[in-house]
Amino acid sequence: MVIITLLGRVVYVQGSVYLIRSDIIRGHLDSIILCLVLEKDRYGYEISKEISLRTDNKFQIKEATLYAVFQRLEKKDLIESYYGSVSKGGKRKYYRITTLGKAYLKETAEEWKVTKEIIDLFMEGLN
Amino acid sequence: MNQLRKHVDELFKEIPDSGKKATIMQEVMQNLEEKVLDLMEQGKAEDDAINKTIVEFGDIEDLKKELDVKLPAKNNLRKLNLGYSIWGSFLIISLFIFINLYYTPNVIWFVYPTFAVLWWPLTMYFSWKKAKKG
Repeated sequence: MVIITLLGRVVYVQGSVYLIRSDIIRGHLDSIILCLVLEKDRYGYEISKEISLRTDNKFQIKEATLYAVFQRLEKKDLIESYYGSVSKGGKRKYYRITTLGKAYLKETAEEWKVTKEIIDLFMEGLN
Repeated sequence: MNQLRKHVDELFKEIPDSGKKATIMQEVMQNLEEKVLDLMEQGKAEDDAINKTIVEFGDIEDLKKELDVKLPAKNNLRKLNLGYSIWGSFLIISLFIFINLYYTPNVIWFVYPTFAVLWWPLTMYFSWKKAKKG
């Protein structure tokens, strides 16, 4: 079942799990993916699976979006790719974070901290 | 897996061929195949697994943007329309002036239809300008 809320946001209801495809998360996808690649080199499917797993399926990234993010990050030299060994389905393309990527991530983490504090000033205690 | 390949081909249909496109398609195929195999290991039937994978892939508008898919240039057509309207209105107005001066030289009336005809190039001019801006 799909419910469209007052804000025009699409909320997917599956059982009692709310899957939110929100624009707010969209703006931070680069950081989320950089974080995952920082931990260790990863490939596409692994990243999308990891995101669903860690968010307990509250947020699922569409694969199409994922590859767009890879393209963007690679163009900005924040990540680089290489081919791994042949596994089921063919050669996996792995991504590794660059020095520039690490610096960028550090910056966005700082930025997020400040953003969160600002939003919390208004939103905290509303629920 | 053929169904998957077909779907990916369909998704990438509008993107112009390039080395980059081929690399991404290969990567997408590999990852999707792995997802299907993974889902099948979790006990899904092959058809179910493929369908789920296709649905969860989403649409590739973002990806198109990253690959710099240029929208076909509409501006040229607008310029052509503007040129046509200017020539066309010029000819029509000349005809009115000729008829006016030849048949009724004592009454000047060609100004009225001229105003009406001039709306045509005027509209085209602004349509062209708007396209140039946007």
